[in-house]
Amino acid sequence: MKTYRTHLLLCGGTACHASGSMEVKEALEKEIVESGLADEVRVIATGCNGFCAQGPVLVVQPDSIFYQKVRVEDVPELVEEHLLKGRPLKRLFYVEPASFETIPGLEEIPFFSKQLLRVLRNRGILDPEVIDEYIARDGYQGAGKALLEMTSEEIVGQMKKSGLRGRGGAGFPTGLKWEFASRSKGDIKYVLCNADEGDPGAFMDRSVLEADPHAVLEGMIIAAKAIGASHGYIYCRAEYPLALRRLDIAINQARDYGLLGKDILGSGFDFDLEVYQGAGAFVCGEETALMHSIEGKRGMPRPRPPFPAHQGLWKKPSVLNNVETLANVPQIILNGGDWYASVGTEGSKGTKVFALSGAVNNIGLVEVPMGTTLREIIYEIGGGIPENKKFKAVQLGGPSGGCIPGHLLDTPTDYEAIAKVGAIMGSGGMIVMDETTCMVDMARFFLDFCQEESCGKCTPCREGTKRMLEILNRITEGRGEMSDLDELEELAVFVKDSSLCGLGQTAPNPVLATLRYFREEYEDHILEKHCAAGICADLYQAKCINACPVGQQVPGYLSLVAEGRYDDAISLIYQNNPLPGICGRVCTHPCTDVCLRGQTDEPMAIPQIKRFAADMARKKGFSITINKAAPKGQKVAVIGGGPGGLAAAYHLVLLGYEPTIFEELPKLGGMLRYGIPAYRLPRDILDQEIQFILDAGVHAKTGQRVGRDISLEHLVEDFDAVFVAVGAHKSLSTRIPGEDRPGVRGGAEFLREVELGAVPEVGAKVAVVGGGNVAVDVARTCKRMGAEVTILYRRERRDMPAYEEEIEDALEEGIELKVLVAPKSIRERNGRLVFELDECELREFDASGRRRPIPKEGCVLAEEYDTIFAAIGQRPDLSFSQSVESRRSTIVTDRRTLKTNLPGVFAGGDAVTGPARVVDALAAGRRAAVEIDKYLAGIRGEAPEEERKEEISITMEVPEEVIKQSMAVMPKLSPEERIRGFAEVESGFDEEMARKECGRCLRCDVKLG
Amino acid sequence: MGKLTIDDLKKIKERVKRDTALREGGSTVKITVHMGTCGIAAGAREVMEALLQEMSETERQDIRVMTSGCMGMCSSEPNVTVEMKDKDPVIYQHMDANKMRQVFKRHVLLGEAQTDFALARMKEPQHEGEDRI
Repeated sequence: MKTYRTHLLLCGGTACHASGSMEVKEALEKEIVESGLADEVRVIATGCNGFCAQGPVLVVQPDSIFYQKVRVEDVPELVEEHLLKGRPLKRLFYVEPASFETIPGLEEIPFFSKQLLRVLRNRGILDPEVIDEYIARDGYQGAGKALLEMTSEEIVGQMKKSGLRGRGGAGFPTGLKWEFASRSKGDIKYVLCNADEGDPGAFMDRSVLEADPHAVLEGMIIAAKAIGASHGYIYCRAEYPLALRRLDIAINQARDYGLLGKDILGSGFDFDLEVYQGAGAFVCGEETALMHSIEGKRGMPRPRPPFPAHQGLWKKPSVLNNVETLANVPQIILNGGDWYASVGTEGSKGTKVFALSGAVNNIGLVEVPMGTTLREIIYEIGGGIPENKKFKAVQLGGPSGGCIPGHLLDTPTDYEAIAKVGAIMGSGGMIVMDETTCMVDMARFFLDFCQEESCGKCTPCREGTKRMLEILNRITEGRGEMSDLDELEELAVFVKDSSLCGLGQTAPNPVLATLRYFREEYEDHILEKHCAAGICADLYQAKCINACPVGQQVPGYLSLVAEGRYDDAISLIYQNNPLPGICGRVCTHPCTDVCLRGQTDEPMAIPQIKRFAADMARKKGFSITINKAAPKGQKVAVIGGGPGGLAAAYHLVLLGYEPTIFEELPKLGGMLRYGIPAYRLPRDILDQEIQFILDAGVHAKTGQRVGRDISLEHLVEDFDAVFVAVGAHKSLSTRIPGEDRPGVRGGAEFLREVELGAVPEVGAKVAVVGGGNVAVDVARTCKRMGAEVTILYRRERRDMPAYEEEIEDALEEGIELKVLVAPKSIRERNGRLVFELDECELREFDASGRRRPIPKEGCVLAEEYDTIFAAIGQRPDLSFSQSVESRRSTIVTDRRTLKTNLPGVFAGGDAVTGPARVVDALAAGRRAAVEIDKYLAGIRGEAPEEERKEEISITMEVPEEVIKQSMAVMPKLSPEERIRGFAEVESGFDEEMARKECGRCLRCDVKLG
Repeated sequence: MGKLTIDDLKKIKERVKRDTALREGGSTVKITVHMGTCGIAAGAREVMEALLQEMSETERQDIRVMTSGCMGMCSSEPNVTVEMKDKDPVIYQHMDANKMRQVFKRHVLLGEAQTDFALARMKEPQHEGEDRI
């Protein structure tokens, strides 16, 4: 046999086939011959390597180099560099999504290194079309042992000992199933393999059949010996052509070697099998329907008992196992049941293969020990969620399963543990969903699938799923009612309990699970006709509008600016937002994260344009007409003059009320003024926009602290309603020894003092602990006061919650950032503070989807500082009242009506949610105004005000062609100029830039046809 | 091929195992033929051919043949580095087919470094990341 120095293991699975691996194989072979390497290097097409998202993938052995996304064009360079010159081609290496590190070696890629391969042990190593290679990897040794050395009882005994449970999803103990069938009396028995994998998101079985078909055949031979069968069928859907082809080759090779047929391995045992191609009905995955289908009848289930172990195919005792179950069998027989049971949990032994897909970096096939948590699979192996998006839920078991939300990610992969949280292990489909998924739509999709696949034999499944689907369609179209939810639940339970087979019994699961964990999303669709993810077509306005908490008509004002209609643009913005100049500067812009243009090149510069429109209005002196409702003669007290209070007051005026803001500090603005430094938000802009609100008819009493100067009870008595929006101004403590020393201070308090003009002395050397915006603001403020500043953060830079732009600006300005350090203690020495810090390393992922920092043993740093700021978060100061109900330092309200426990008292913003975005406070203020109107109108016995909006005509046209053009870059002061004072860093777009930028909008708000 | 017995299975396994073992990574001997432009010009290709011929004649499954670029001493090419587990790597210089056969038979199989051909004995693995042997 010829010896080659290098083997190129090119993945030949279906996914890599689709991405062009066979063309790459041809090109490689040609290039190798041309380079004179034909005697040294061999190309092998293997079964699925598992890392499907990176396909076509190529592993070079013995070097263990992993190449991803190999194209035909890459081949000449690859052969020249790696195979001729021995220099691995770096540009095709894998890049770790979390760290952006380039990783060459197969073993070092977390996706592979964290897996335990048993079922998939031959993947990417064997040529699945060469039986000798399977034999070289202990192939058919298990069958040999079972046929020559073991009795039927011994085989069943080992299977029972192994604890293997049916991998098709139901989890019935395999050994027990075999025992029933082996004890069942009958001259003819059958072994059946269920390869009818059909649920969306599952591709484990296909991959096993493609990568290691002999393992399944060997498993069936052993099962046949165990139950005394001489014939078998593999029921595989016709839509798996590659799996069918490889099965066919494998069966023929096995027959040639006498491993199928008469007297296998000289044991006297006969067994042969054939492949039966299914037409792709989902219900044929159900065992009795599958058997009907093989018998040539229509694929429909029948009631059980009799169970197939007694009366199965053609009324003969039969055993039906899933592909993955059977592929486990040879190893169990070869190594013993105890070996198999050595990994896993109490009730779930061995490993499980999952098809990981959806919103996850490393899409592919994953095999892990049972008991591995979902978090480990999704984050450690899957590499987390792409594009910094937030995890929302993971769907297990496809249309028969349920979703599991973020707070339950530590659930282990164990049949019972997963059932407990409302999902099922299923056959292994694991679909990860991020915040851009609408859970109502997701449930609708799966139910639609089951409804179409329902065979129609039993009424609950046929009619019940249809009725449920109608309700879900109604909800996603914005025609739902709250009573629909009860009806859905009732129907779901009915269909589950009374359907004939597994299809109907599990079809309501996605609906039940989403109702359990995401009921609020259903309510949003019904009550507010709002789909935050922007998925449901009838509730869709534009990606940006659906994502914006205040529903800004973004494409509208972009189009108006593009046309130079600045006065109309600002009027349109004011309909939803009374602080446009402020939002244009400091909003965290959830709109740009979802912007459709971002999929072409870069998202639109949405806040920058809003700022431009506001600045233009100010410069040109546009008057914004306010369309007020008739005065109602009722007064509302607003506690807190921050963005929430200001927005509430403004919208209350529009609704015909007379609001009065009570503010403790000398000026209005709250965190906008006392938390955001002037270099980010110039005070003249703030003053002007607040003045506009006051001029509209809002009273303000500054320097008045509720609870000190005036009591809440007083306000409740004097006013018709009260809105509490006191924000979150108190810094959280670090809880370390020495934090009460002078010179150790809260970040939020410091920013407030600076704004109040008290200019506190910070000394020459300052440390700021924290990674959020307050930390960065404190650092940049101290820098402008002449100090040398270091930000200390316990995780990595990419984990910092502060805006990336702000961090970059801070670093440009000469602020030092030290990561992976956590505060330990503060001492004093010679009038200076000695700050002891633990050096940290990042370990497992925590609930936030980031790695947890853990202090390294014996690695303590000590640095001297003059001032140390704690900026690790804030909480509300609720000392203004004892009677308002609170939980964990925040006020408790109804999520939708914002009502507190006190009648007529509403609350919103940071005081309710904890520190959040400016735009969330604005949205809460707006909601409060509407809810207060509903409340007061109810008392008056009138109907609440209708929304009043002036019609502004907007051109509804989509661009005819899209030319690649990046987002316009915001002009900025140089770092040297910046740190000299508090002048605004960003100077804004000019007219030409702004109009050109607006022309980039793809207008996904325009409804075509 | 006719009907297999359990012994036939073992024979097939032995015969094919070397190939599949190669794909699992891991080895005790790594032989690197330096195949930069200079190495190839100086005859590294013939060295490689001789080496692969030797490889096909041995039963050993723990030997890996690799290529790499020029080491920077073009005048000493063709170079071959032999790294054995727990031993310092040895670099050979001015190799040809015959020397390669000798190095393989003596050094690789028997553990006797052929100091006559050696350029140097290295204390460390040559390059970062190449210490996986």
